[in-house]
Amino acid sequence: MKNLTSKQKILIVLLAIIIISGIIVTVTIGLKFDLKYEKSQKIELNLKKEFEISDIKTITDEVLKGQDVIIQKVELYEDMVSIISNQITEEQKNNIVQKVNEKYGTQIKAENTTILSIPHTRGRDIIKPYIVPFIIAIVITVAYMAIKYYKLNPTKVVCKTIIINIIAQLVLLSIIAIARIPIGRLTIPLVLITYILTLIGLTSQYEKKQIEIKKEENKKK
Amino acid sequence: MKKVKIITFILMVILVIMIAFFGIYTNVQNRMENQVKDYSYAMDLKGSRNIRLSVSEEKKTIIKDSEGKEVEDSENLTDEEITEKGYTKEEVAYNSDEVKNKDNYINTKKILSKRLEKLGVNNYIIKLDEENGDIIIELSENENTDAILSNLVTVGKFEIVDSQTQEVLMDNSDIKLSNVMYGANNTGTTAGTMVYLNIEFTQEGSKKLEDISTKYVKVDNESTDNQSSENENQADTNEKENTTSDQTEETENKEETKQIIMKIDDEEIMTTDFEEPIKTGKLQLSVGQAATDAETVQGNVKKASAMATVLDTGNLPLKYEIEGNEYIMSDIADGQIQIIEYIILSIVALALIILIIRYKTLGIIGMFSYVGLMSLFLLVIRYANVVISLEGIIAIIIVLILNYIFVNKLLSKINKQESKDIKEANKETYKEFFIRIIPICITVITFCFVNWVPISSFGMIMFWGIALIALYNYIITKNILKIKAEK
Repeated sequence: MKNLTSKQKILIVLLAIIIISGIIVTVTIGLKFDLKYEKSQKIELNLKKEFEISDIKTITDEVLKGQDVIIQKVELYEDMVSIISNQITEEQKNNIVQKVNEKYGTQIKAENTTILSIPHTRGRDIIKPYIVPFIIAIVITVAYMAIKYYKLNPTKVVCKTIIINIIAQLVLLSIIAIARIPIGRLTIPLVLITYILTLIGLTSQYEKKQIEIKKEENKKK
Repeated sequence: MKKVKIITFILMVILVIMIAFFGIYTNVQNRMENQVKDYSYAMDLKGSRNIRLSVSEEKKTIIKDSEGKEVEDSENLTDEEITEKGYTKEEVAYNSDEVKNKDNYINTKKILSKRLEKLGVNNYIIKLDEENGDIIIELSENENTDAILSNLVTVGKFEIVDSQTQEVLMDNSDIKLSNVMYGANNTGTTAGTMVYLNIEFTQEGSKKLEDISTKYVKVDNESTDNQSSENENQADTNEKENTTSDQTEETENKEETKQIIMKIDDEEIMTTDFEEPIKTGKLQLSVGQAATDAETVQGNVKKASAMATVLDTGNLPLKYEIEGNEYIMSDIADGQIQIIEYIILSIVALALIILIIRYKTLGIIGMFSYVGLMSLFLLVIRYANVVISLEGIIAIIIVLILNYIFVNKLLSKINKQESKDIKEANKETYKEFFIRIIPICITVITFCFVNWVPISSFGMIMFWGIALIALYNYIITKNILKIKAEK
């Protein structure tokens, strides 16, 4: 900590607080998952005619107050709707069917509509396909950096690259946990952005240091 | 001459911008149709096939003897014979209550995941309800989806049994791996490419196979001759399929010839014997006939691949049924994608205005070049068959940012130097910029080879974007700036 500026010290403390808070939130409350990956319930209504998602959304907002809802068109004719929410009770199902019938003049029978359970997706299943490609990419990148910036001490470069990448991802995940941002389809894109930004930052820093060393060497000559 | 050059460049860029943003419309059957290829979207943006699998409640009839033991080979027994022998018929569930447990549900999910990967599915979600074993699979829709589904729920129970006693000689536990092999077949009447299902056995399995192939060897010459001629086109294989046409002749020698039956999911695949002991621990079974046309060969390969996948991934501990199978559109509607597009375009417009304010005329050239690259990039994505996923959209944004950084750097260098040495400024910018993004390039190239759509989409889009930044700016931006400087 001797060579660190006060700004750097503040940054380190801040990052440590974020990561520790993230870990505490994850361990105690757990991560919040997007409805698509959460345990949920689904009903499907065959309207047999074209419909607007926004109309169905109005109905579900009314019936499933405050609940997250996914509305999707089913099959190529797009005349069937799938409604997914955390929980759909029999009463809510009946209300939705009734309101859809009123809106579209359909004669869907609530008793013929089944509430289907959708199990949750395990977090490890979501990240599994990304682990190996990321490890390969990091290993090759680190090897390249160690060779390219050998003047900056290869071991130091390797350790720094790995540690900063890990810290960057931990900070991102901690922010996700603390801010209760749902783990879902946007998580991996966020991880990718963080990874790319980290690489750009590290390379710029190494380049600057390498140029400084070269300048010093030239001066000595 | 310079004027002609600059006008040519400008017209080329304008043409690309027009095609990318407005398309090329022609009259097709009295309606105007855009001839520019559409984007290919991944399942998170387009939609997916949703399959609901549930544990089968199907029942099967078994026949038990007076001691309560299940009678093998009882399919041909008539009701009278059953009564005569003192046997009893019983209806039992295909999946007994003992096998319906959490461990088997989890195991089934693992096997299904393996099968999906082996069948080349490059984007899927699999969910398991550990309480009742229900499995939901979401996979991308294409021409192979139905074929994939048909192989997915095959139990994959592999057995080699004695044709007479029905004793199980080998099963799934003896298989090490299974794959598809090809071979040229120049013998017999049908020459062409032969497709084989190659089954490799474990050490123990190899020993069993050797024993079986020694024991179940052909003893009757007449029968051997008949079979050999019939199976000439299946050269290189160690087995021969016993076809029905020779059944009469073979009946006489039935007692002498010991044969094995190969079964998959209790269905007889072939009845065969061996010419010589198999010591390699490998069994190659011909799939279909030798063929010269690509379509037939591909069909045989598909059949063999499906069987290989099922055998290689092991048998499902439970029988499953497809309860639901439907195509569900993405919940990210076209309108939402359009909103993202407008937001990106607005940010780009704002950034370009800043560029103009900072660099005046140079800024206008920079803006013009930037929009040209953006348009060309969008066209390349369409024609390079890149699938766009959410990660792909992020890649597009990153490419646009990287190009902005590049153009800004270049203009800044030209501006600072206040000289006309565009070549030098360009060289420096290329050096500085690309040295800094080499680690990104490494990641991008790695991702291009990954067989998982969200990652490969990111990799491919970034790859084309970076390649375009390098080429387009060298050919177009540099030359326009050069002409301007010379002017």
